[in-house]
Amino acid sequence: MSTDTAHAADDHGHEHAHHDPKWYSPSRWLFSTNHKDIGTLYLIFALCAGTVGFIFSGIMRVELMHPGLQLFDGKAFGGFFGNEDNYNVITTMHGLIMIFFMVMPALIGGFGNWFVPLMIGAPDMAMPRMNNISFWLMPASFFLLILSMFMPAQATGTGTGFGGGWVMYPPLSSTVGHSGIAMDLVIFSLHIAGISSILGAINFIVTILNMRAPGMTLHKMPLFAWSVLVTAFLLVLALPVLAGALTMLLTDRNFGSKFFVPAGGGDPIMFQHLFWFFGHPEVYIMILPGFGIISHVISTFSKKPVFGYLGMAYAMVAIGFIGFIVWAHHMYTVGMNVNLKAYFVAATMIIAVPTGIKIFSWIATMWGGSIEFKVPMLWAIGFIFLFTVGGVTGVVLANAGVDHALHDTYYVVAHFHYVLSLGAVFTLFCGWYYWFEKMWGVKYNGFLGGLHFWLTFIGSNVIFFPQHFLGLQGMPRRYVDYTPAFEHWHTISTYGYMIVAAGMVIFFISLAEAAIRRRKAEANPWGEGATTLEWTLSSPPPFHQYNDLPRVR
Amino acid sequence: MADGAAKHDYHLVKPSPWPILASIGVLLLFLGGGAYMKGIFGIPKGTWWAPLPGVAWLAWVLTGWWSDVLKESRGGDHTEVVQISLRYGMALFIASEVMFFVAWFWEFFEMAIFHQLRANGHFDLANPDLEALKGWSNWPVTQITPDGAKQLHTFNPFGLPLVNTLILLLSGTTVTWAHHALQVNDRTSAKIGLLLTILLGMSFTFFQAMEYSEAKFTFDGSLYGSAFFMATGFHGAHVIIGTLFLIVCLARLLTGGMKPNKHLGFEFAAWYWHFVDVVWLFLFVFVYVAPTLVWPGGAEPG
Amino acid sequence: MRFRGLKHWVLTCAGMLGLAALIGAGAAFAVPVPGGIGFQPAATDLAKEVDSFHDEILIIITGITIFVTALLVWVMIRYNKRANPVPKKFSHNTLVEILWTALPVLILVFIAYRSFPLLYEEDVMPNVEDSQIVDIKVYGRQWFWSYIYGPGDDALSYDSNIIPADLIDPSKGQIRQLSVDNPMVAPAGKYVRLTISSSDVIHSWAMPQFRLKVDAVPGRINQLWFKTDKPGVYYGQCSELCGARHAYMPIELRILPDDQYEIWKQKSTTSLKDGRAYLDQVQPLGPAAQVASAK
Ligand code: HEA
Ligand code: HEA
Ligand code: CUA
Ligand SMILES: [Cu+2]
Repeated sequence: MSTDTAHAADDHGHEHAHHDPKWYSPSRWLFSTNHKDIGTLYLIFALCAGTVGFIFSGIMRVELMHPGLQLFDGKAFGGFFGNEDNYNVITTMHGLIMIFFMVMPALIGGFGNWFVPLMIGAPDMAMPRMNNISFWLMPASFFLLILSMFMPAQATGTGTGFGGGWVMYPPLSSTVGHSGIAMDLVIFSLHIAGISSILGAINFIVTILNMRAPGMTLHKMPLFAWSVLVTAFLLVLALPVLAGALTMLLTDRNFGSKFFVPAGGGDPIMFQHLFWFFGHPEVYIMILPGFGIISHVISTFSKKPVFGYLGMAYAMVAIGFIGFIVWAHHMYTVGMNVNLKAYFVAATMIIAVPTGIKIFSWIATMWGGSIEFKVPMLWAIGFIFLFTVGGVTGVVLANAGVDHALHDTYYVVAHFHYVLSLGAVFTLFCGWYYWFEKMWGVKYNGFLGGLHFWLTFIGSNVIFFPQHFLGLQGMPRRYVDYTPAFEHWHTISTYGYMIVAAGMVIFFISLAEAAIRRRKAEANPWGEGATTLEWTLSSPPPFHQYNDLPRVR
Repeated sequence: MADGAAKHDYHLVKPSPWPILASIGVLLLFLGGGAYMKGIFGIPKGTWWAPLPGVAWLAWVLTGWWSDVLKESRGGDHTEVVQISLRYGMALFIASEVMFFVAWFWEFFEMAIFHQLRANGHFDLANPDLEALKGWSNWPVTQITPDGAKQLHTFNPFGLPLVNTLILLLSGTTVTWAHHALQVNDRTSAKIGLLLTILLGMSFTFFQAMEYSEAKFTFDGSLYGSAFFMATGFHGAHVIIGTLFLIVCLARLLTGGMKPNKHLGFEFAAWYWHFVDVVWLFLFVFVYVAPTLVWPGGAEPG
Repeated sequence: MRFRGLKHWVLTCAGMLGLAALIGAGAAFAVPVPGGIGFQPAATDLAKEVDSFHDEILIIITGITIFVTALLVWVMIRYNKRANPVPKKFSHNTLVEILWTALPVLILVFIAYRSFPLLYEEDVMPNVEDSQIVDIKVYGRQWFWSYIYGPGDDALSYDSNIIPADLIDPSKGQIRQLSVDNPMVAPAGKYVRLTISSSDVIHSWAMPQFRLKVDAVPGRINQLWFKTDKPGVYYGQCSELCGARHAYMPIELRILPDDQYEIWKQKSTTSLKDGRAYLDQVQPLGPAAQVASAK
């Protein structure tokens, strides 16, 4: 896409520099109406929450390294970790934190806020103040979630926290299983996170539909903006249904309604339908923005335009649409009618087609290119491989006849970590290194970035590939303890975690290194391959960019 | 324009304390709700006033926030292009509300259509939980009371519910009338139309409350009661919010606000009102009328 | 018609890809084995069909993954900066775009074609005479299983609890986390029909060697059927998160020849202890009995 850069880059910064707020001014951060500052807040939040989720996964891996109870025996470290149910609490919180407080805030809130306006040539988001409340609801929500871990699990008794899984199935999540306030706080937390995401999503849709630079038709819009547009629609349509389901759960718990209470005619399975009607689109909410990032990175470092641009955009639309009609593939074992299962098998497998289009188009983008293996490109290529592995095991699970054996085993855990921890997280780091200089105005150390990639790539394969074997052998999910035969692969999986942990240490070192060295960033460090509008601006971009709107031809 | 040098019509909003304050308010509200439901931080369960600080805080914040919006609007920040943004935003907000109601209708349809399935084959088990399901072969089920299960009597849809339907339909026309009047700068008619709409809205709420008080089934007596009261209750809450929205518009009309060519607040209130109206039509057709027509054996209107 | 010919061909390919090990692994054991990487051995005909179907998809998905990886490696070698300093500028090729849309569709149609019959076979029990059917009711509870045997209402009913780790006696063939005090017992050669429910939260009755799993949902009755000709010991574990001791409510299933099953049932009806003693007598599990005692 060609841009009229007559008044780009330099003539922005200086003009208003004198009345741009200082970086240390509290009101700049607390009261922000600037999309880049809010994006930064989101990224910092995601980094903190991600670290918590990362530590929780470490606790699980240590516990699972050997059979028997390592941490959750009520004795280790003075009983700090509590008993078996606290393992479930940690698992539940790990899932919720990684999904709602790490991936979503980072990819949508963070990169979406930073780069959607920059890429489409808009001076800011359409509703800057609403943007800010989308962010500030997240800490409130996270506070309630963490608080829940320390609140009573049962109305009477000693346990704390909600340990019913991130899917929160009743009756385990109703008064039968968790009668204490912990679960109510989890519900509140997700209500708030949901409101935050809905408001944010509305903002993105409006911004993209109404604030594109002159000349930028939808069919010329960068793919990352496309991906956020589709994601935002999924959010607006899926989250309210979760809110409804959670509200039913709340009134069941506190006001005696009978939605999921069999004795009153209700049905626990109904919750699962409502949950997964949200839950399945949710998994695409987590991966679509990543797809967008990968497209840019692949194209930039191959120095070639994206192959099959329109196909790429509409593949995401198709994934989003089909994503709404496959939810019950998570429920093959609940006792569903067999014809219904057959329908969901077919519908689910169809998603492989648009996803395949994306995979192959990325490769075709590289084909004939002149590829540079800079750090972001490493993450992108790693992603394509790992996501394919995770995607094809999804196709295995889609077949109800096999899923009867694999459901709720570690095979599923392996599947979704390949698409999430090795999929979404890889896109996250990919975007992080791609836009690092643009966002922070300094360079990172390429060697540390590469080391971070290799440790994470190797480590996470060591964690999760053996989990396929465990699943096939029958190891169930959400088990704090297991029969000794499973030890072999569990131990290896934990070694993998240690490698990834080393990678995280390198990551933090690279942050510190960049912060201390402060090598000045270039406006466009990637050269001719980087064609989107954000590279026409200085690094970091001026506080208010595009006072003169760019023109797209 | 917030930024003198900008050569575009977008609205770059000034930094604002309201969002973070609103977030604190939401936290207070939910913690208060938690305190009321379960007790927390030493506040005993059942403390009725626990959510009030949050409500008050939020009321303060929202008043401040929206008066800022009004000021900006009057200051000329809402240019043509900004107005388009606001329209899209409101439409999408309503779309998300629609999906919220989808959840409640889904629950209702599931129950209405599959009750028979659930009742079948459950009799041979020595499980008291399942015994209760016997009643499901009738629909809309039995009401569980302290002295055992009994046939549930639904509302007669052609009494108050029909009246309420007519009220809402009528209010839809009055609000449109008011809108057209405003567009041609006939402010008197606009005020009358809006006032009528508000009165109709209030009378809807009044009749609904009356109807609730005459219910022959309870919220916690069966799934039917739960689904009925939550679906119609959330609708009722939206009617009240819509009415407040209209009242704000009326106040602005009376104090000289709202121009014939620019009255987004009014438009949004009208959209919202129509949305509430449509939800009611669905409720009326499916939750009130259909049970008495489609499913024999159950649903004798009481 | 099950694509016998094609399957052979495909299996040969698998061997060439070095996958045979992966697929056949674990075949000699009947419990999870250290380092095992495949399914546990199949104990029913149905399970064998699941396996061959899974083998097929495994080959397909491995092929796809290898294909994608090969393409990636190729572009990295052929089109890196040094090998190809000047990038080409094309961004369309209708033919390949059609191909990579159509081929996956065909692959998926093939998978579906194999998948649906299997699904229906699993879900719908064949129409057989009542004498061929044994009904057992299964209840999941926090945190143990209850089994109820007919005919009539509960002629025999008992609870099945895990043997705690410190009481496990390996010399009796007991396995940590899998062995229970009163196993479920069912006859070989008959259609065993389970009706599964729960009285508290959701549990899931799972039997890996039969490749089956059905949730125990309060307020619902779910059905599951199996038929195996191999007497032996089979282990499963609760497979739906059900609270603190979710990991501690295993399922031990003993399959006995029909006549022994009847005797067991009779004895158990009068005294659970006698039944258990009889079970240990006809189906002793020596120290080496980590393997199903297939006779
Ligand atoms: C980013 C998140 C993400 C993504 C993208 C996906 C993608 C897919 N998922 Fe996954 N899934 C999860 C996250 C995700 N999933 C999570 C979190 C769970 C567990 C939730 C829980 O229970 O806690 C889960 C569980 C889950 C289940 C339920 C398992 C069970 O509980 O028993 C199923 C079953 O159908 C499934 C299927 C699929 C399919 C078919 C895809 C497809 O979209 C994949 C498509 C991609 C490809 C197929 C690869 C690329 C394509 C080609 C190279 C073309 C050629 C390929 C073919 C012809 C096959 N997933
Ligand atoms: C995005 C989602 C996500 C991610 C990234 C992960 C990452 C990891 N997960 Fe997680 N996991 C889930 C989602 C995720 N998981 C879910 C939904 C469940 C199911 C919960 C349930 O059963 O209810 C689960 C369950 C689960 C289990 C099963 C527990 C059980 O069933 O008993 C295990 C066990 O090993 C596990 C381990 C790990 C490990 C070792 C990692 C490691 O890969 C972690 C390594 C860390 C990173 C790769 C980096 C993290 C990122 C950051 C620090 C942010 C950086 C931010 C910026 C740069 C802005 N997870
Ligand atoms: Cu019972 Cu898990
Ligand atoms: Cu899914």
